[in-house]
Amino acid sequence: MPDFGTVASAILSGLLLGGMMGLIALGLSIVLGVMRLVNLAHGVFLVMGAYAGLYFLKLTGFDPLLALPLLALGIAALALPLYRYLLAPLAQRGPEAQLMTMFAVAIILQNLFVFVFSADTRSIERSYATLPLSLGAITVPLIYVIGFAIAVALILAIHGLIAHTGFGRDLRASAADPAAAATLGVNVQRVQMLTFALGTACAGVGGVLIGVAFQFSPSSGGAYLLNSLAIVVLGGLGNVPGTLAGGMILGLLQSLGGLTLGDGYRDIVGMALFLLVLVFRPEGFLAARRA
Amino acid sequence: MRKLHKSLQAGVLFAAGALGLTQGAAKADEIVIGASLPLSGPLAGFGSFQQWGYKHAVDEVNKAGGIAIGGKKEMVKLIIRDDQTNPNLTASNTQTLLSRDHVVAMLGSCTPALVNAGALVAERAKKPIVTGCDPLQVFTSVRKWKYAWDIFFSVPDLTVAPFKMLAAAGVTTNKKLAIWHDNGPDGQANGKKLWPAFAKKFGYTVVQNAEFPINNAQFTSIISEAKAKGADVVLVDAVTPPAVAIRKQMASEGYKPKVLDIEKGAEPVQFAQALGKLADGVLVGGYWDPTFPYPGAAKLAKDFEAETKLTSSQHIADSYAAAQILLDAIAAAGSTDADKINAAIAKTNKTYVVGPIKFAADHTATLPIVSEQWQGGKTVIVWPKKAATGKLLFPMP
Amino acid sequence: MRLHRLSGDMGILAGAFVLLWFAPSFASDYALQISFRVMIYLTLAESWNLLTGSVGLVSLGTASFVGLGSYVAFGLANHFGAPIPVILVVCALAGAVLAALVSPALFRLRGVYFTVGTLALAALLQLLMVNLPTFGGASGIFLKHDPPPLASLYHDALSVALVASLAMAICARTRISVIIRAVRDDEDAAAQMGVRPYRVKLAAFALASALIAMAGAVQAINLGAIEPYGAFGLQWTIDALSMVIIGGIGWRLGPLAGVLFVVMLGEMLANYPEAHIAITGVILIVLIRFAPGGIVGMFARLFTRSTRLSSP
Repeated sequence: MPDFGTVASAILSGLLLGGMMGLIALGLSIVLGVMRLVNLAHGVFLVMGAYAGLYFLKLTGFDPLLALPLLALGIAALALPLYRYLLAPLAQRGPEAQLMTMFAVAIILQNLFVFVFSADTRSIERSYATLPLSLGAITVPLIYVIGFAIAVALILAIHGLIAHTGFGRDLRASAADPAAAATLGVNVQRVQMLTFALGTACAGVGGVLIGVAFQFSPSSGGAYLLNSLAIVVLGGLGNVPGTLAGGMILGLLQSLGGLTLGDGYRDIVGMALFLLVLVFRPEGFLAARRA
Repeated sequence: MRKLHKSLQAGVLFAAGALGLTQGAAKADEIVIGASLPLSGPLAGFGSFQQWGYKHAVDEVNKAGGIAIGGKKEMVKLIIRDDQTNPNLTASNTQTLLSRDHVVAMLGSCTPALVNAGALVAERAKKPIVTGCDPLQVFTSVRKWKYAWDIFFSVPDLTVAPFKMLAAAGVTTNKKLAIWHDNGPDGQANGKKLWPAFAKKFGYTVVQNAEFPINNAQFTSIISEAKAKGADVVLVDAVTPPAVAIRKQMASEGYKPKVLDIEKGAEPVQFAQALGKLADGVLVGGYWDPTFPYPGAAKLAKDFEAETKLTSSQHIADSYAAAQILLDAIAAAGSTDADKINAAIAKTNKTYVVGPIKFAADHTATLPIVSEQWQGGKTVIVWPKKAATGKLLFPMP
Repeated sequence: MRLHRLSGDMGILAGAFVLLWFAPSFASDYALQISFRVMIYLTLAESWNLLTGSVGLVSLGTASFVGLGSYVAFGLANHFGAPIPVILVVCALAGAVLAALVSPALFRLRGVYFTVGTLALAALLQLLMVNLPTFGGASGIFLKHDPPPLASLYHDALSVALVASLAMAICARTRISVIIRAVRDDEDAAAQMGVRPYRVKLAAFALASALIAMAGAVQAINLGAIEPYGAFGLQWTIDALSMVIIGGIGWRLGPLAGVLFVVMLGEMLANYPEAHIAITGVILIVLIRFAPGGIVGMFARLFTRSTRLSSP
């Protein structure tokens, strides 16, 4: 039986890491809610963010975490033409056409990364990323605390944006019923485009955090995509605070799974939870609308 | 409906036509050999080194006028296909190279899963394949080979190296040992059997033995357990992505053992590039270095660095030697007959860039192991003494 | 009328089968290997087309059943020395049973959630196989005995592809096609007509999974060695999906056209691997956008508008 310090540290790191995962999942969740699109390129966008952070540091010498708003804007800007030229023309053709288009985009980008950056494992090297933070018997990585703080701040900001602004009202209307929203004068396509950019930016920012805290390679995206899907299911679609909670629950369960069964079982816990929620609590998400 | 039947018929005809796909014909005066390599996907790093080694050996032979077949000099053509680090593709590439390109022999891919997939196809087609990059015990566990030959290190040699190195260095630790290994073939052999056995022999106590999947990314539970148990020595068997994750997370969990040895994953330059200063002090077993006293060793690394402007890796050496062994065997056989080449490979007895090569009855030739340590972005040989190029950094910074 | 069409299809299939059966006596090894690949991919593509094109269930779980077939086949061959026909039957059953087991989770919600669920299933199975030492863990399993010669494996693959084609012919040519279409177009309306959408979807999912598992078994025996990353690899899913989209989703000849196109493209671009995958991706995007009917759809538009099978 592991001692108190080990267990408490594992629980706390799970919760903190889960907060970061919540931010990544939020990007997937809002795109799914507004566009009915499971963005299969979400993981690849995350990897793109990590490379952006790495090369930003290499070229400018500035810390990518300090330049997060800039990086987020840059990645969001890349999403705009993708929406305009690939997704918007398919809007009337049901969710499958867009889904498979993003799948193709994911394949192309992943191979592009291998071609441009090689398949090597990379990491954004920052001295604070490898410092421990100790409180009595409990030790967590400092970067988890930093990443968690950034993620929670962004999630709350997005929550405010959706709940209290004009854009947020349009977004909610488009998500509930695009046709009705359009008749009320909402520019649904513009809302969708901005939502897609916002979702991509979430992945990108998450990618920078992942790049600093862990390591990445062109093929890293898949695992984060699946993790995000599990969180979206747990937290409830379109429920912004729920996504944060879902991320933290998943992080906690994965940590406990790692502690009791071995670190190899972390991802299995996520996938199994995902399928179990589908069986037993499908009304927990998407009860009001059908995709 | 008529049209439908017509189009169905057209489809069948199309299918029949596809059967008659043009056959890539080899020129009569060429010796064609093939290789399937991971040029993309997670192992692309290894594949590019191997590709250079194979090509370099073939280029040298061709520059010297080729190989005499039945008294007439012929040029060697090497066809390389990419398997994208996918064993399904290694197998189908090998099939295509054998049946479409009519290669007379094959050179291997990298890592057990890929090498074995290709070797099984070649074995079935009764064509010789010479490979490196497949630890010998893993290679021999697949089957009794007739046409496949492997030059690489022996797993027990690699496994015992850290213990021998520590004993020779005469450094003091609390003799508490943590073993973390992946569940791949070599990871299991090292972590489950060999390291625990050697630990006992060398007087260490194994306080932790943890297994994780090959591409695991999170090691916090494993690390905090080892930290709680106070292990001074950590032996890891992992590929590069988890190796980087482990080193980073050890630092961020505040765990500083005195000795950290990461087999496999700490070997490529990308490990040190991803980690920067954190790589310093990490130990890894190696089977080749340009300073080795074998003919052409220093020149090989120099040629590589001059041609590619990249830092050389030990993978250029076993691939270069494997290709040379095959080409020497074709020359010795004086024929492109598979069985004659195979018989000539069996008789190999020569010192190559990796050392003296003579195949044992189980089709393996063993490369010697050294212990290397990352110091300032470069590896330094710290054991054995006669090969050493630097001093052991102890304890790990 | 429909039966007449069905018998016509059967005739063509039987003719093609007999012709192709004797291929080993005149075709080169290379042609046989390519044909073997075509047969395996054809089975995967037909199954995906049934699920996605006909029933409207977009699956990203092809790899789950390829992997399942691979592992079951090796278990039967290594532990029981089972002959290949027995292996194929058991693998088909295993595929159908797994499909039935996971269907309560996957069918609970409609549309994209099935897609996401199948993707998660493949990931879960791969992770389980990597972690469970019973099945060889990440090292995988080797076939104890040498696999049968190429000609014999080719016959196995051909037979599996024939079974798949026959099943598709029956689905498209009998009253089943009406039921399937009703479920795809409007589940609620279908339910009011007395069709039980859940059962229809389950039957299609089980059939497709059984066929995929058989293809996985033959492919695994051909390899002689399997491990989770290859057997449950996402590449199987990408291949099946892209072949059908390129060939023509929902079209009877779509899978065949797509498989032949992709396999030939693969052989032509064998020396430019990165280009190969990227080109496949670009072709996908362009076709989805401008030619949703794929190659077959484009040809059909050139000739006539009435051959679309899934229209009345």
